[in-house]
Amino acid sequence: MAFSLPVGPQHPIHPEATLIKIEVEGEQVIDADIDVSYVHRGIEKAFEYKTYAQGLYLAERICGICNVAHTTCYAINIEELAGIEAPTRAQYLRLIVEELARIHSHLLWLGLLAHLIGFESLFMLIFRDRELVMDLIEAIGGNRVVPAYNVIGGVRRDIDNALAHKIREALGSLKERVKRYRRVATEDPTIRARTVGVGHLSPSEARDLLAVGPVARASSIKYDVRADDPYIAHAEVPFNIVVYDTCDTWGRMMVRIDEVLESIDMVLYALDHLPSGDFRVKVPPIFKLPPGENVARVEAPRGELLHYVVSDGSEKPYRYKVRTPTLANLMAVREMLRSRGGKAVYVADVPVVFGSIDPCICCTARVLIVDERGQARETTIDELARMRW
Amino acid sequence: MYPEERRETPQGFRGRLSFDRNKCTGCRLCWRVCPASAIEMIKDEKGFRPVFHIYRCIYCYFCVEVCPTKAIRPTDAYENTVFRKEDLTLR
Amino acid sequence: MWWSEILEPLVYPGVLYVTFLALLFEWIDRKLVARLQNRVGPYYAGPHGLLQPLADFLKLISKEDIVPLKADRLLFTLCPILALVIMFTASAFLPMVAPYGLASFNGDLVVAIALLTIYALIIYASGIAPPSRYSLLGAERVVLMLIGFEVPLTLSCLSVAIACGSLRISDIVLHQADRYHVLGLCAPAFALFLVASQAELERVPFDIPEAETEVVAGWQVEYASWRLALFRLSRDVEMLFLSGLGAALFLGGPLGPTSSRFSWLLPPIYFLAKSILVLVVLSILRASFARIRIDQFVSFCWRTLIPVSLAYLLAVLWVV
Repeated sequence: MAFSLPVGPQHPIHPEATLIKIEVEGEQVIDADIDVSYVHRGIEKAFEYKTYAQGLYLAERICGICNVAHTTCYAINIEELAGIEAPTRAQYLRLIVEELARIHSHLLWLGLLAHLIGFESLFMLIFRDRELVMDLIEAIGGNRVVPAYNVIGGVRRDIDNALAHKIREALGSLKERVKRYRRVATEDPTIRARTVGVGHLSPSEARDLLAVGPVARASSIKYDVRADDPYIAHAEVPFNIVVYDTCDTWGRMMVRIDEVLESIDMVLYALDHLPSGDFRVKVPPIFKLPPGENVARVEAPRGELLHYVVSDGSEKPYRYKVRTPTLANLMAVREMLRSRGGKAVYVADVPVVFGSIDPCICCTARVLIVDERGQARETTIDELARMRW
Repeated sequence: MYPEERRETPQGFRGRLSFDRNKCTGCRLCWRVCPASAIEMIKDEKGFRPVFHIYRCIYCYFCVEVCPTKAIRPTDAYENTVFRKEDLTLR
Repeated sequence: MWWSEILEPLVYPGVLYVTFLALLFEWIDRKLVARLQNRVGPYYAGPHGLLQPLADFLKLISKEDIVPLKADRLLFTLCPILALVIMFTASAFLPMVAPYGLASFNGDLVVAIALLTIYALIIYASGIAPPSRYSLLGAERVVLMLIGFEVPLTLSCLSVAIACGSLRISDIVLHQADRYHVLGLCAPAFALFLVASQAELERVPFDIPEAETEVVAGWQVEYASWRLALFRLSRDVEMLFLSGLGAALFLGGPLGPTSSRFSWLLPPIYFLAKSILVLVVLSILRASFARIRIDQFVSFCWRTLIPVSLAYLLAVLWVV
């Protein structure tokens, strides 16, 4: 006797309005379907009415948590098309803020996962430690969540020695705390009971369903845009790609915790090797771009983020497309939510599995083509480019 | 606890704008660059003057950057809730 | 005196006293858990937020009462009232001001535990009353949990009763005049009792029926205003009841060094102090774990808790 249980659009597990319709038999989930159309804000349309410099601030507000990734991607996208070269000091500074944003996003996710499995104390404590990073971002950029640090042509402000010292101190104590959380995540029996074996995604499935980011890296797929297609200063700042082969939520949790530790090391390395020079190239506030198109990819905290711009020679873009990593992970999470093979998924696992991809639905609600017959299909980049959608 | 003790904001914090009318030359650059269309240009006896609708402001400080005479300055005021919209309009 | 027959059950140590203590226990629990989580907890209502549970109760009562169209109206109205009445009745057996409670007879320990079981069944009924799938899931989970925790709870209490040779709570309390049970043979029973109480109270790690992130308050989800207020109050009284039962069975209840001058004041204070100790342990448990899944809970109960409690019962029988 199966009935369908709508998890959403209003539900405590959803930071944004999403509908996960699950077919439930007793406590076991048999089927799942996801609807992300509730938060569509018309951002891609809004891009067409903003100049390139204004579009930067629109890109920043696509997502509250991964806003640095969006501005970085946008900035390098427009810079590549315009032929502007940001100075190396700016690239390093961009890397510092991008990695700090990754740290704060992963810590937020970790706290959220603790909340989803009912571990309120861990949630509160992690958020307290996340404040260290928020204070740093505020000191660097001017705002805790949306530092508005990247501009076309470089970064807005410099990091002087006093600020660098503050960053080193804060990151030093944060590293100890994160190591402690790593131990908790590895050893605590209730956390392990809720995350080990939950949300299974085999490597072949991950590859077929186009999972990106920590979801893919927890299924043994070694794919990180920072290493495969380096941007800003990632070619010069060394780091390890964190890969786990457990293919479950625990693996994704450990991937993100280890990525936080890697990011802390990257920021400290970048601070030590900061090249001197300018941090910004003067760019007129309103400028025209030559006609053409460009694609830029960055490694957002959630995975591979893609921006695509088509310019027709005016000061506003003709078309701007944003493909966020959560969109790529949605098909994967849908498979994960179904009880298949020998692995049963329980109602209690639904928030854990859905949360394990780090869903950022407000980023995601862009364009999904739904056939009139009710089937949704994903489009490829080439198809998008051909159709100019 | 918050209402009794307030945190010190760091240097460079982006709070509500402040505007010095005397330094403004009416170049309209702030009006052209604002991403949120929060600046309205009105004409008074000295020329063009901006009116800042802080309730639309996204605190990006693009206008602070482009103003050639530094008439728009940052402050660290972050408690920007009022009962009437008019109280959040800077002239 | 004839009026003491009416005043005692109503005021002291009856309904009003129990309500006051229940709200106090809720405050202690919330404040302690908040401080452990680096939060502040109740702060504004009354000094240090002491009046917060009362404020929540009054606020809930003042809200609009919403009954879903297809709900079973009888159950929907009866369940909150019954839940509170049952918990008040159970608390009449607690030896709060003297070694015997308001009501004391041979076998009242069994009656008290039976009332707890009926309480769980009332929660099941209140979960199936609304036409909501979430509350149905919550109700199903309550029954599964009942199958799990009831046996260890009963067995741990019964082991203590066997060690004392009586099923009367006041006899068990008086048996501890020279040594508290927790310090002797009954220490494992105390641990079992604590774990089973945490499950009975449906608190983390066992708050599965009301899991906020899974079934959005589970069986409570459709209850508004005074019905929710009564449920929450019954939950608080249950907290008082189980802490009090633990204090009575294992920590000696209202026993302690007395003086003739304050003989009316000291036993309630001892009882309160010991119950609060049990509550503190339960709250620390609540702040330290994640929530486990229902299938993991049932398997934990039937593979670990019940064999241990059976083995302990046999050990007690052999010793005694």
